[in-house]
This record gives sequence, C-alpha cells and structure tokens, in this order.
Amino acid sequence: MFTFLLRRFLLTIPALFGVAVVVFLLMRAIPGDVVTQLVGFGEDISAERMAELRRIFGIDLPIHVQFGQWLGAALQGDLGTSLRTGRSIAGDLALRFPATFQLSLMSLAIALTLALPIGMIAARYRGRWPDYLGSAFVLIGLSVPGFFLGILLILLFSLRLGWLPPAGFVPFAEDPLESMRRMILPALSLGLILAAATTRIMRSAMLEVLDRDYVRTARAKGLSERRVTLTHALRNALIPVVTVVGLQFGSLLGGTVIIEQVFSIPGIGRFALEGINLRDYPVVQGAVLVISAAFVFVNLFVDVLYALIDPRVRYG
Amino acid sequence: MRRLATFILTLAFGLALAQPQHGGVLRVGMQTDPVGLDPHLTNATATKNMLENTYDTLVMFNASLEIVPGLAASWEASQDLLQWTFRVRDATFHDGAPVTAYDVKYSIERIKDPATASPRSGDFAVVERIDVLDDHTVVFTLSEPFTPLLSFLAMSMNVIVPQHVVEEHGDLQHVVVGSGPFRFVEYIPQTRLVLERFDDYWGRDADGGALPYLDGITFAFYPDPTARTTAILTGNVDWIEYVPAVDVLTLQADPSVEVVGGLAANYRSLMFNAAVEPFDDYRVRQAFAYAIDKQQVVDLALFGTGGVVATGTTIPAGNFYAIESSPFEVRDLEQARTLLTEAGYPDGFEFDLYITSTYDFLRDPAEIIQANLAEIGVTANIVLEDWSIYLPTFYARDYAATILGFSGQTDPDAFLHTPFFSTSGGNWFNFADDQLDELLSAGRREPDPEVRRDIYLEAQERILELSPMVFLFHSAQYSAQRPEVEGYEHFPNTSYLGFRTTWLQR
Repeated sequence: MFTFLLRRFLLTIPALFGVAVVVFLLMRAIPGDVVTQLVGFGEDISAERMAELRRIFGIDLPIHVQFGQWLGAALQGDLGTSLRTGRSIAGDLALRFPATFQLSLMSLAIALTLALPIGMIAARYRGRWPDYLGSAFVLIGLSVPGFFLGILLILLFSLRLGWLPPAGFVPFAEDPLESMRRMILPALSLGLILAAATTRIMRSAMLEVLDRDYVRTARAKGLSERRVTLTHALRNALIPVVTVVGLQFGSLLGGTVIIEQVFSIPGIGRFALEGINLRDYPVVQGAVLVISAAFVFVNLFVDVLYALIDPRVRYG
Repeated sequence: MRRLATFILTLAFGLALAQPQHGGVLRVGMQTDPVGLDPHLTNATATKNMLENTYDTLVMFNASLEIVPGLAASWEASQDLLQWTFRVRDATFHDGAPVTAYDVKYSIERIKDPATASPRSGDFAVVERIDVLDDHTVVFTLSEPFTPLLSFLAMSMNVIVPQHVVEEHGDLQHVVVGSGPFRFVEYIPQTRLVLERFDDYWGRDADGGALPYLDGITFAFYPDPTARTTAILTGNVDWIEYVPAVDVLTLQADPSVEVVGGLAANYRSLMFNAAVEPFDDYRVRQAFAYAIDKQQVVDLALFGTGGVVATGTTIPAGNFYAIESSPFEVRDLEQARTLLTEAGYPDGFEFDLYITSTYDFLRDPAEIIQANLAEIGVTANIVLEDWSIYLPTFYARDYAATILGFSGQTDPDAFLHTPFFSTSGGNWFNFADDQLDELLSAGRREPDPEVRRDIYLEAQERILELSPMVFLFHSAQYSAQRPEVEGYEHFPNTSYLGFRTTWLQR
C-alpha cells in the first residue's frame, strides 16, 4: 500500500508540471494581456506608454524566461502576487479554497443522500412505478442546467417563500451555522444534478449485482431481502459509483464558476475566471495548480477507497 | 379616537423624519469586486465606486457635473491659463495626519510617474511642475493652456493620498487611508467590503451639519442580476447598483423598492474603421447614419428603458456642450441609397459587423442594424466574439465596423478629443481630419465656457458631416433602493458620491 501511494504521489509531479506548462502557453495564446485589460478602453494612451507598462509588469520578457521565473518561485512555495490587486495569490487561494471545499462537500452529501436510496429502490422495483419515478428524476436532473436550477431555487426559496437569503457568503470560521444556511441553495443546485447522474449509475450497478450468483445464494440460504440488498449487493455495487462520484467530486473542487457566480460564493472557479478575464497570469497559474492538485488527490483517494470497499483490490 | 391619535402621531413623525437622520449602516449590493484597492493603479469602476467616499479629490463634481470645491477650498488660474493655484482646506486623513499641499503634489506626481504604472498617467501629461508654496497652497504649472485640467482633478480615482502612508507601505493595495467621509474597515474578496463613518470629515451638509449621516456602508457582491434584484426585493440589502434594463419596469411597479437613476454619461455607437474600404468614404458612413433606426434599437434591444436615443453626437442631450440637432434624426432611406450610389455602391455591399457576445446592450442592436441595412442593399455579417477576445482585437484595429461604447466622460474634451483627434490614444478608428483637429485643440485652450461651447458645436457639426460613427444611444444606469433610503443623488458619471448625503429613515 505504502509503495503504491508513494508511486502515485510521485506521478502527480509530472502531471502538475504538464498542466502548468499548458496553462502558461494557453494564457499567452489568447489575445490581450494584463496591460490592455488594465488600461481599459476609451483611455487616451500611447503605444510607447503601453510598452513601458509591459516592461514594468515583466511580461515583455521571452516566454521561457517568464515561465522559469514563475516555476522557480513556485517550487519554493511562492505563488507570487496578483498583477492587478497586489494580493498574495497563496493567501487568496487559502481564502477561497475552503468555500469551494464546503460547497463541494455539501453538494456531495445532498447528492449521495438522494442518489443511493433512489438508485437502490429503483433497481429493487425494476420496471415498476418506483423505478419510473426514479427515471423521471434522473431525466430532469440531467437536463436542467445548473444556473437555471439555481435561479429557480432563488425565486422559490428567497423571493416567494422568504426562507433563505438569495445569495451571499459567510465564511465558515466566522459563523458556521449561517455559513451552512447560505450554502444550502447553491449546494442544492449542484447536488440535485449530481444526484441524478449518481442515481443512474447506482441503479444500473445494483441491477447488475442483483443478478449475480452470490446474491442468489444469499437469498437461497434464507436471508431477508433487506439483508441481501444492504450487505451483499450494496457493497459490490458501490465500486462503479465511487469511481463516478470521485471524478465528479474532483471537478466540483475545481470550482463551479456559474453556480459560484449566481450565488456569489468566493470560490476557486471564479478566482480563476477573473484571473483569465484580467489576464492576471500568476493568478491563473496558481489557481489551476491548486485545482489540478485537488483533482489528482481526489483520484488517489478514490483508489484507496477501492481497497476498502472491495477486498479483492490489493495494492502492492 | 385612537385611530385619530395614530394618524396625528404618524403625521408628526412624518414631518420630523423629513430631516436627515444620523445613524444606521447602508447595505449595498454591488455587481463586482474592486480590482485592487489602490485607486491610482486601476481604472476599474468597481474600485472607484467603493472607495471614492473614502478618499477626496482636489475639486469635485456635483450631481449636475459642475466643478465644486473638494480638498481645495478655492482655486484660480493665471491669465494665460498656465498657472493654477489651489488653496488646500483644513482636512484630516483617517490616520489623524493633516492633509497638506505636499500630499497634493505627491499624489498627482505619483499618478504621472511611469514607475507607478497608473493607467491614467496621461491625465496630467500637460502638468509640467507642481510647486508647494506653503502647507496650504499648491501651484500647478502647465506646458500649454488646458481647460480640462479641473475635470481630470475631479475624476474620483485621481484622489489625494497621504504621502507618508504610501511611502510606508509601498502602494495602497492593502491599506486605505483617505480624508473622505468613510474610513475603510475590511475587504474580504467576493464576500464584503466594509466602511465606517469618519468622525473628522471636513464636509458639511446644506445646513452646516456634520456629514456623513450613515454610520457605515457594507458592500456585498452579487454578480448575478437575478440574485441582485432578489436581494433588494427580500430586503437583504438596502441599495443595489446596475438594475438590468429588463427589470426596471418590474421593480418600478413594486412598492417595496424605488428605482433611481437615468441617463448616464456615455455613448454607444456603430463605429467604423476609416482605414478599411468602403468605410474610408464618408458618404458610405453617412448612408449608414441615414439608414439605421435608432429608436427601434432602443425600443427593441434595450426594452425602451436601457437607453436614450442619441440626438447629436457622443455628448448626451441636456449636456451644456451637446449639439441639439442632427441631419440623421429622421430615417431617410432614399438619401441613404443616393449616398451609396454616389460612393460607387448602387447595389450595396457586404461587410463583417464585429460584435461582442458578452454585453447584451452591445450585441442585441446588431440584429436590428443588420435588418435596417438590408433595406438599402447592404449585407452585414454579424461576427460574434467573447469580450476577452473582442477587446484586444478591437485595440489592434482589426475590424471593419463594430458596436461599442465609452463611458464616464465629464468634460467635452473627453467626449470629442479622445475618440476623434487624429493622434489621440483613444482614437481606435483610424479617423483623421485636420479641420476637426484644429477645433478640438482650440477647445482645450479656451477658458470661457460660452466661447468653448461654440467651438465644440462647430466641431460636432464637422463630426456629423464626416460620420466616423453612427451615434446610436446613451445607456441609462439605474440603481434601486428600499423606501427607507433617503438623500441619495444619482450622478450621471457612474459615481456613487451620492452616499455622502444618504441617510436611513427609521
């Protein structure tokens, strides 16, 4: 197990390096730079002055020199400061990652709470009305775009019912209860959609397992249906579910720009997006580094989970 | 009897409440975060709007865009307009230090200094020297007569900052020390920015009472328009900026909200690249101006509430310098076809109309213009691009015709010289005309408003004749507030200085 973890951990290094290079090149491939975005439009400014600003920001240097500078600093744990706000990027990431993490966890909790029972019941009563009800849920959940669901939830729970504030964020450390309360609507918007996808996987995995010999054996030896489903079938059905949920959770941690935008959550996705819009190169580099690291580590975690769920999986 | 007593009490309270009350924190819903906190280092409207009440400028605009005293209690210009003397009033920075003439000199020189990397270093290009005569007197020496100087000094990002604070911290990105009515408390990105009342603020209200009335302002960020309008409808905030044009009528009908605002200083036009055929021919540009139905653009693309039809050039009607009549006021397809024929395009032509997909008020007019132009045989192919791609391409002048606008002008010089002077950095249109250049330079040298107006009217006639743009509309800007918010004034230059006199009725 330990050698496996170590090997996987070492493999993340070239992965993160690759991502950093690609992002660096892509950011410079899009037109405009931090100076054009700084000056804004309609400003009476000469080309010479623009060139001088580029020199001040250090973006007139050859691209490999710029990358070398960034990498050198990053290896020493220094992600630099934003070209536009002068704020420390590591500091801003530390501020934003918890918000994204909280949102992701709450969405995941909502998704699993809904998806596991619905999927199981749908499989258990295959071809009967609970199954059809489950399919309807899946179909709607997969078809509704997140931002639309978000706005509908705002209109229903804030404007019509007045139960929850429409948007706005309170840091967890400041007031945990209020923070959770404000996170309910965005977590629902993401969670319901994630639940739909997971329900589908859960149902089909469960169906497959329920046809297996060992389930028949379990039934034959007189176990209750409840026991058969929960102990014998569920554990084996969970493997594909864990894979999918792991991937989904990884991308949730990458920030969900649109939901963060609708509910004004200071998440990592919006941080990266603003960096892109302002051509604030170090911000984008830092944000993407953290996002990809989160993704890689969630996948690693999923691999470890396999071993826990499925005794046949052993890492040597 | 009891009812009558209640009525009288209510009436009495009503009368008492007409007087501004002190106290209370205004909760404001903003669209976006500030882009950095140092006002000298950015052009972001959001930074300006949240910090312009923490800092002061030397002179200020009032809500009618007239220049009024700011930190300078008075000022005078020499006969030749080359020496401007400002008398700095007794004012205190939030850290207790006095505001001096040295801070004024330091602030303007800081904006000018290339090493500061201010996007507005050009604002004071004509300022040759700044001399401090004593703690309260500062003299600006200009290299040429430049009437717009006061407008640049009043621009609420060209603020006076304390020299000792900048020197201690390097810049003002993490520390905000001004002399304005509110002092900075904290900023948590995408969460909130908090200001509290500064007790030693120099400003007084009309009755000589202390300003500001509010104990503080808390800005929260709602980038999504639905979330923002819901926040005010549910009372989560007291005031929001940027009410979408489509929601204006809905909110106006709601008794729990008041919609404030209207015309803002800006213009939105169909802009031509004068170096690209056939738009190098002014007759083609004029033909477009005759063919496009501006009222239809406002009614359909802006829901009738998002803007006001442009009746002259870039300067909105009602402005002292605006030209009030234009040959293009009435749509004239016959005239448009004649002009096209004269220019050598009797059967029309085809061109790419380069548009950003990011802003609806720039995107949606394109389809109406496309339909309008089809009537004179011209085929406009709409090419849509995201703002982040669009803007740099526009800067590179890699377009034939586009729809764009510029905002926040306060001086006629900014409305006319910036886009149309041949060598101006804001002329992205490859447009040049000697006669116009001469008029625009003359306007900069003329101190007498009446004479200056005549010069600019002549300049605008010339602009209409050459039609470097088809002037479509001026955007309106609306904010909304709860009924208990009083005293807020709408400034047409996207400025929230109105918070200085805002109070809460409780």
